[in-house]
Amino acid sequence: MKKKNLSLKEISLEDERFRISYYFSLEKLILSIRKVGLLNPPLIALRDKHFILVSGWKRVLACIKLCLYSIPVFVLEEDDDLKKFLVAFYENFATREFSLLEKAEILSRLKKFGEDEKSIVKHYLPLLDIPSTLTNLESFLAFSHVEPEVKRVIHQKNMPFSSVKLLVGFTPQERKLLLPLLLPSGQNKLKEILEDLKEISRRNDIAPKKILSSKEILEITGSEKLSPLQKIDRIRVILRKKRYPALSSRKESFDSLLNKLKLPEAVMVKPSPFFEEENFSVNFSFGNSEELKTNLLKLQELALKKEFSAIFKLK
Amino acid sequence: MSKSEYFPQRVYVEKKSLDFPLTKRILKNVGPVPSEVIDEPQEVLEDIKASKDVIGLGKKYLLITRQKGEFVKPCPCTPGYLGCSYFILNTDLNCPLDCTYCILQHYLTNPLLTVHVNLEDLWRQLDIFLHSKRHRKIRIGTGELGDSLALDHLTENSVDLVSYFRNKRNAIFELKTKTVNIKNILKIEPGPNVVVAWSLNSFRIAREEEKDAPSVEERIDAAARVSERGFRIAFHFDPIIRHPDWEDGYKEVIDKLLVTVDPARIAWISLGSLRFPPALKTIIEERFPRTKIIYDEFIKGKDGKLRYFKPLRLELYKKIVGFIRKRGGEEIPLYFCMESEDVWREAMGWIPKGEENLELYLSSPLG
Repeated sequence: MKKKNLSLKEISLEDERFRISYYFSLEKLILSIRKVGLLNPPLIALRDKHFILVSGWKRVLACIKLCLYSIPVFVLEEDDDLKKFLVAFYENFATREFSLLEKAEILSRLKKFGEDEKSIVKHYLPLLDIPSTLTNLESFLAFSHVEPEVKRVIHQKNMPFSSVKLLVGFTPQERKLLLPLLLPSGQNKLKEILEDLKEISRRNDIAPKKILSSKEILEITGSEKLSPLQKIDRIRVILRKKRYPALSSRKESFDSLLNKLKLPEAVMVKPSPFFEEENFSVNFSFGNSEELKTNLLKLQELALKKEFSAIFKLK
Repeated sequence: MSKSEYFPQRVYVEKKSLDFPLTKRILKNVGPVPSEVIDEPQEVLEDIKASKDVIGLGKKYLLITRQKGEFVKPCPCTPGYLGCSYFILNTDLNCPLDCTYCILQHYLTNPLLTVHVNLEDLWRQLDIFLHSKRHRKIRIGTGELGDSLALDHLTENSVDLVSYFRNKRNAIFELKTKTVNIKNILKIEPGPNVVVAWSLNSFRIAREEEKDAPSVEERIDAAARVSERGFRIAFHFDPIIRHPDWEDGYKEVIDKLLVTVDPARIAWISLGSLRFPPALKTIIEERFPRTKIIYDEFIKGKDGKLRYFKPLRLELYKKIVGFIRKRGGEEIPLYFCMESEDVWREAMGWIPKGEENLELYLSSPLG
């Protein structure tokens, strides 16, 4: 490995064979280089008379932004792509955590450069904190192949492995339909939507695309009155009802009964989680003994009502 | 190899287990199957880790080793639901059959089919255990972490176990299987406290979700032969699974069962609907991508496991209890595995008052 100064123009950025990072901010690095210069030279390799970048995309892009003319680089003299990539991998491995998508890119490159699957599972998955199974390797390889716009959302939302795995299970066309739903959702809602959609599709043998193109969902997505979050919530409810019809119907009956009973605002009556137990719980807050008495009195009146006993049929 | 007789592709013998009589017996019974002596099972596990289906591959290898811990353990049951006070005997671990819903896929960390050969330790531990429980009736069986008879043509364990338990009158010993591997059972003397049990399901579920298991008809026929030999028999409808036409499906099996075997010879029938820890769902999705059984209406129960929404469970149980009672099984003791008191009350009409009450109910027909 030789160190030399190289004009930034001489580095070809089109060849991305060794690149594993795509989504990053350069601000802090630009400030650092401006203050103290580039202390850690990127790794470069010569290929077909062009210098290509092996490691240090962030550093080179920051230097370009700073309009530097030349920078110090290390030129790798190794011919084998796998060996070059491993230099880049171990250089990064020692200094930072890899994101989920970076891990996917690393594994995909290792495979592309000829590392055999058994060796990847045995040696590299543990280094990346991934349990050593071929199934996990296959999942990460699939992550590396999704469309760039999907990768951007995965990165933006910092989606966990389980949600990415669900998302990757859909077709590219379905993922395109799903993206607008995923962007405004929090992690839990996002996972719930993906899971419900997949499971309704598998259980009922209906393509997810067909479910997403149903009249009721199209009416919501096409509405100009609803905010993106309202749209997500309504679609979520529709999917939940389809996925859990009996439980949803039980919940609706319970809520409608409570509505009819006109409970005092401060009082909440709740069933056990999923109606699994026979008990109900009552919850209210009070600030003084007068409020406590009022609520207790109202609850006593409620318990005597004939309509109230109907909730016990819903246990 | 017949469907009922499993032979591994390779046998691994842990070095320290070489001299046990059971090791020698198994190596003789496996015939030409290649065997290899290993220092530690870890060596084999490392090798199969890189397989796409570690669980499936593990079933192809037989590991002969020693039980280093306790052979007898209380059945872990599940928190928040009624237990049946069962004890499990871990002679073999894992099962060559490959049922979609099998909990062992999640429960066992070692995917190899494993036989524990230090039987002297087993008898010693059993003596101590049974003595400590001498004032009560206990139920104990080998079919929790493995199939009791799937390896019996190799181990012949049923012969030794039945001989041991025949004279232990405070114990009811159960062998639980889905196989028809009954050659050894038919050769041995029955004991009044020995029960041979089969797991049953609807014909469709058995066909689609119980890979490598004999058909339900074969299982019932095997049960009839074992019953004719003089053994008490039992059945487990567990897991009961909702599927299209499940009512007809379960009715058909119950009809076939109760015309083929004498209901008076049935020690008990247990019922349990499909339930599984959330982590098993991922395993099932990966290993059985075509199954639909995990996409029904499951809720998270009090024990954190996924189980059918209660009204759906009640519907299953009420129908199946009704089918058994109407088909001539009025006197057969029925019990639920891992169910709540209100389900017992609604579907069975009574609630066992404590575990000993249930034991008494299940052991009374056995005298």
